[in-house]
Amino acid sequence: MIEKDIDEQIKWAKINADVLRSMENPRRAYWITFFICIAMMACAVTAEIYQYNTGMGVTNLNNPHMWDMYIASFVFWIGMSHSGTLLSAILHIIHADWRKPIYRFAEAMTTFSLMTAGFFPMIHLGRVWNLYWVLPYVSDRGAWPNFRSPLVWDAFAISTYLSASMLFLFIGMIPDLAICRDNARGWRRKLYTVLSLGWIGSDRQWRNFRKTYLLMACFLIPLAVSVHSIVSSDFAMSIMPGWHVTSFPPYFVAGALYSGCAAIITLFVMLRYYFRFEEYMTVAIMEKTAKLTFAIAMVWTYLNLIEFASTWYGHDIYAKELLIAKAVGPYSWIFWTMLFCGMVVPFALAVEKFRRHMPTMFVVSLLLNLSMYFERWMIVAPTLSMSHDPHQWDIMWPSIVQWAIVFGSFGWFGLLFLVFVKVFPSVSMYEVKEMVFHRRRLINEDAAKVYSRRARDRKDATGEPELEGA
Amino acid sequence: MSLQNIMENWSNYRRGAEEGGHHKYEHRWGMAINLDLCIGCNACSTACYAENNLAVVGKSRFAKGQAMHWLRVERYWDESQNKSSSVTPDYPEEGASFLPMMCQQCNSATCEPVCPVAATYHTPDGLNAQVYNRCIGSRYCSNNCPYRNRYFNFFSYYESSWPEPLNLQLNPDLTVRDKGVMEKCTFCVQRIRAAKDKAKMADRKVQDGEFTTACAQACPTGAIVFGDRLDETSKVAKLWQQHEVKLGVYKQHKQNPEKRGYRIFEELNVDPSVMYLERVRDTGI
Amino acid sequence: MSGKLNRREFLKALGVSGAAGATLAGCDLPSTITLEEGKEEVVSYFMPEEYVVPGVGVWYASTCTQCTAGCGIHGRVREGRILKVEGNPDAPVNAGKTCQMGQAGVQGHYNPDRITSPMMRDGGGLVAISWDKAEAMLTEKLAGASGDRIAWVTGTVSGHQRVMIENFMEATGAKHHYVHEVVNNRVWESVCQDMLGDANARLRIDKADVVLSLGADFMGASSSPVLYARQYAEFRRGKRGTLIQVEGKMTMTGGSADLWVPIRPGTEGALALGLANYLLRKGDVDGSVVSAELRKRIDEFTVERAAEITGVSGDRIQRIGKVLRDRRPSLVIPGAAVQGQEFGYQATAAIMALNILLGNVGKTIEPGFDVPLKQLQAKTGGTGDLVRFAENVKNKQLDVVLFYGANPVYTAPIALGFRDFLGSVPFKVALSTFPDETVMQADLVLPVASAMEDWGTHMAVNSGEQPVLGVQQPLMEKLYADTRGFGDILLGMLKQKKPDTYGQYADFYAYLSNALVAMKDSSVSVQTTPKAFWEEALQNGQVGVKAPVKKFAVKTFDVQIPDHQADAEFPLALMPTARMGLFDGRHANLPWLQESPDQIAKVVWDSWAELHPITAAKYGIKEGDLIRIESANGAITTTAYLFKGMHQEAIAVPLGQGHSDYGRYARGRGVNPLTLLDARVDAKTGELAMYATRVKIVRTDETKDIVRLGASDVQMGRGFVRTVSVDTLRRTEGA
Repeated sequence: MIEKDIDEQIKWAKINADVLRSMENPRRAYWITFFICIAMMACAVTAEIYQYNTGMGVTNLNNPHMWDMYIASFVFWIGMSHSGTLLSAILHIIHADWRKPIYRFAEAMTTFSLMTAGFFPMIHLGRVWNLYWVLPYVSDRGAWPNFRSPLVWDAFAISTYLSASMLFLFIGMIPDLAICRDNARGWRRKLYTVLSLGWIGSDRQWRNFRKTYLLMACFLIPLAVSVHSIVSSDFAMSIMPGWHVTSFPPYFVAGALYSGCAAIITLFVMLRYYFRFEEYMTVAIMEKTAKLTFAIAMVWTYLNLIEFASTWYGHDIYAKELLIAKAVGPYSWIFWTMLFCGMVVPFALAVEKFRRHMPTMFVVSLLLNLSMYFERWMIVAPTLSMSHDPHQWDIMWPSIVQWAIVFGSFGWFGLLFLVFVKVFPSVSMYEVKEMVFHRRRLINEDAAKVYSRRARDRKDATGEPELEGA
Repeated sequence: MSLQNIMENWSNYRRGAEEGGHHKYEHRWGMAINLDLCIGCNACSTACYAENNLAVVGKSRFAKGQAMHWLRVERYWDESQNKSSSVTPDYPEEGASFLPMMCQQCNSATCEPVCPVAATYHTPDGLNAQVYNRCIGSRYCSNNCPYRNRYFNFFSYYESSWPEPLNLQLNPDLTVRDKGVMEKCTFCVQRIRAAKDKAKMADRKVQDGEFTTACAQACPTGAIVFGDRLDETSKVAKLWQQHEVKLGVYKQHKQNPEKRGYRIFEELNVDPSVMYLERVRDTGI
Repeated sequence: MSGKLNRREFLKALGVSGAAGATLAGCDLPSTITLEEGKEEVVSYFMPEEYVVPGVGVWYASTCTQCTAGCGIHGRVREGRILKVEGNPDAPVNAGKTCQMGQAGVQGHYNPDRITSPMMRDGGGLVAISWDKAEAMLTEKLAGASGDRIAWVTGTVSGHQRVMIENFMEATGAKHHYVHEVVNNRVWESVCQDMLGDANARLRIDKADVVLSLGADFMGASSSPVLYARQYAEFRRGKRGTLIQVEGKMTMTGGSADLWVPIRPGTEGALALGLANYLLRKGDVDGSVVSAELRKRIDEFTVERAAEITGVSGDRIQRIGKVLRDRRPSLVIPGAAVQGQEFGYQATAAIMALNILLGNVGKTIEPGFDVPLKQLQAKTGGTGDLVRFAENVKNKQLDVVLFYGANPVYTAPIALGFRDFLGSVPFKVALSTFPDETVMQADLVLPVASAMEDWGTHMAVNSGEQPVLGVQQPLMEKLYADTRGFGDILLGMLKQKKPDTYGQYADFYAYLSNALVAMKDSSVSVQTTPKAFWEEALQNGQVGVKAPVKKFAVKTFDVQIPDHQADAEFPLALMPTARMGLFDGRHANLPWLQESPDQIAKVVWDSWAELHPITAAKYGIKEGDLIRIESANGAITTTAYLFKGMHQEAIAVPLGQGHSDYGRYARGRGVNPLTLLDARVDAKTGELAMYATRVKIVRTDETKDIVRLGASDVQMGRGFVRTVSVDTLRRTEGA
């Protein structure tokens, strides 16, 4: 039998209650996680202060290795941000409604990972206080950024993507914020009153809302593809062996979706466990997410292999030398771990038994993300270690300062996410209701008709239907 | 304007007017380094430290690869191609190969387009300039330099490099760089500047031999020759011509392919301004 | 120059004549400026002197004192600070070129670890005292010692520094002057004296077609690196001469060789005889130019025998012989490893004999100049004087020792017993700019102004084609008011001893200008007035000396080269090689030179021991292992560096590091191989046999990373340094 994505008999009040419950009364586990994240952040802040005062040299960066973990982490976090767009925008326009219970936190992940990613170019700058010079602000000296530089493209792409995805997240939340408003007291009520923008659920509001949401989704998809293509051009536009690769844009986008999906699985399992969301984040949805991840993993694998093949058969002796060095050199254990975790481990997703087992999925998703992190690092570091001039070859391992900052970035991300789940509904209530509604309709067309008519007829809609369990 | 036109014009931006391009070069400073005369003595490198306020980083930072030697003398043990045997010999019978390596002042430099703030750009002298004040330290330029000749101020080196009164030696013609800034060989741009100013005051052209870079001036064997390639009477222009090396190409087409001049990584189309002359070995002993 | 800054003295310090006229050896300014007289107050740069243009550098000529070569330099002075040194294009030694040691001279001047005031030993340490007290103390001690118990220990001295020392010795009755240099040519000089009749024979590498260098690092740590590098450039440029380097450890010069051949260290003399044998046998050289006994000796040294002694294959010897036979003129140069043997004189004489046979004498070895002012000529140092000095110290025959320009506490091998007995010398005076090891042992320390603050003259041992007296003038005002010029210190003492003779000179500047003007007739200058002559000397930084070329009187004699004997207990020959840069250790306090990689090993800031990989494999040593090098006299522990440019029976440890004092940059860094040396000397000249010590090595369990420049020793097919054969060169460039 085909398993249900969601129990269509679920009561709407229960949906509200469950989601609203998740926003209140943080339990001990929450606070422990919260303070762990704060502690991780504190590590990063300390390291950054030290680095800022002393100089970039404390990171062990050196002449051939001008970039290292900061840039790898940057690419990693940018990649992670693609998940939300994939789930909310792409799956939205192709009407894959199983996304509905999980897209909200995925979208939040997009925003927060972008906010995390955005830190890294700043942390990595030698003179971060001059960061704004990459923006085309009006200067009385007529000094402009260099529009030929991929780093300037990055600045534009990331800021655009960040603002668009934040807007998208916010717009998608408006009906839910109205529910929150109606159920909240004190500062929360004030906050949601402002944020829900006077949403009363009128027909006109819903129509405008639908249009805006679709429009934003359509706008976001090319943006998401372009943003990682542009990040890839940080490398592809250079002449360095291992970076100067034509297939980098699709490769990066695939890798981004891959890591995003893996991160969704991770958070899926965690939220399901923490907030008892078993009824919304069902095994069936997990199965679908896993299948999607598997498909993307295979795309990534393919792109990886053709990159190797084209290097192998290409004329660039430096790139070929580098490929061999990656496979057998000092970084080889990272290389092979990356390939194993990225190409072999995803086959676990092809097995139904594993797909349905949450702890397994949790571990698998972490392995996939490990592979993705290694992939980014393997792109950045070995090229710098072994490029054109063998006199300047060098093997460098990042210092504790780099580790602390990268470690802390996970804390920052976690912190944002933890605040989010307590302030905003991490499951989209109205869309779950929609989903339930559509599922019911599939079962009982007639009842559905009644429903839809009655729902339409209501003037004082708060997003909560009047009839229960019809 | 067709796409082809755009493409053509774009590449003309880095060509000199004499090649049909848009760039009107006043000078094109260049070098010729005769590797047969280079004895690897490091006089050039030390002269560069003295002239350009290069920081001494100390042993531990040197070990980490954070040294600031704009001009490094690379030393290789490869036997020349004259040897037929593929067995590695037990002794370096042809001696060492020394290579003074400094910024090659590429005419289509890979460092220039990638700088987000245009801190490195091409001057009308054909130099690849680095504006310290503008640099924000993204270090992309160094990553994209195939010669790895850009050095980053990983620390505020001045804090430890010139304890009193060593700081009195610092050349006031150029700055002491603080942390977070990329730097590299400038072909002693402060000397170029001074010579140009002097010539302008006297209303004449800069003459060959009027000044030279610190490395070329120190070089005991005269292996390094510096000058203006646009000045056809200059030593460096004559050497380039004699060895049939041209700018603006990624592969030299020589009448006589045995001529010794070559440019390193020419095939990457970076168009370096430094010509090396092949090392010579008498292998008939 | 203490207390209030006196304008006239300030001008003097800048090398400008204190009288009405002044001449600047400037490039940026007109050469003659008349200064207004009568102003005595300090004038700030707010209203600068006429010739001081803020932002414009002025170039002053002087003479480099970083080694004993005597290169002419131009110092760039801006706003009263010396900023950079360039070669003086008119100087015959270096013709506008400099080596890295010369470049780093400014770091000696601005060194943060200079001695800034006189000091005396008080209890265990040195305490600062006033000049008055220091002078009184010195006078008292000198008065209390008889002349034959007073000794000077200096480095190579020439010009008016030498004159002052000799004046001092005459005034005090001091009998001993030990001239000590680690990097020296003493044995070669004796051989030249004995075989050619001229100790100062000049090498002309530029005139040779083939140079066979037997361990001579003539472009690196030699008596005149820039001169020989310039000659080398000529040698390579014209008809593209061939350099064959035969040595136990590849030196910097060996790195440029067309053919580099490893030889058992110390057997180079046998190779020379073997080559002579080959040439005589082939009948291409005239055997009658050498004495009969020598011919007989050469006949004994067949190529086979030479091959056996040297470890160089007979075939190789014959091929080298063939090159020497076919291409004339050639030049065979012995290096430090040849001279520094117990039979170093014999080996060097054998090499000279080879030169004589090849007809190189007079062509590529030219006679020196017959300089009329003998007392200005360089008194060249060696290690023999160190041995004799140590002997006298040991026998307690010295009461007062004055050190200047030599650091025997650092350079003397332990085996000389010198360190233990130095304490027994009642009064040790160190005239020094830096707190080196000898200063730390001294009872009285007199701070000498840096070479860039001091007056002096220097005469190069080999100044190429024109003998000159290099004028050293201050390039800036003194950094430390309490330091004094070397000449001033000595003049002060002389004034006390002989007020009649020296009382007329206000300072050494007055003395020097007087003395220099007095030698006008011996110079090539066309200036007529003393003032113009003096100004010209300052402007040029040198005075050309009229001197005819001497004539050689060739004489040969039998040489005795022992057979090679293996040593079971100490299987390796220790090669304590000086290198361009830190030299004999005197430049270890200059950060530029510490950070400048060794030319061959590319190591920075440390010591290392070079071993052939095959030798290392025998001991199970890997690169980076710490090894103990033990001689009969002691042991040092340093990092192994595997290097194919070594003979398999040798180990090389570079000189320069292992200072226990000498400022922050030198102290506690690396090891000093000189400590290991045996107290053996060359039988004939008494010079220390520096390369005769044999050692054994023991691997320790520790490792230490070698810090060096460059990750790869090979080009990985990149074609950075491309090589063509000399035939191709001749074809294309018609050389």
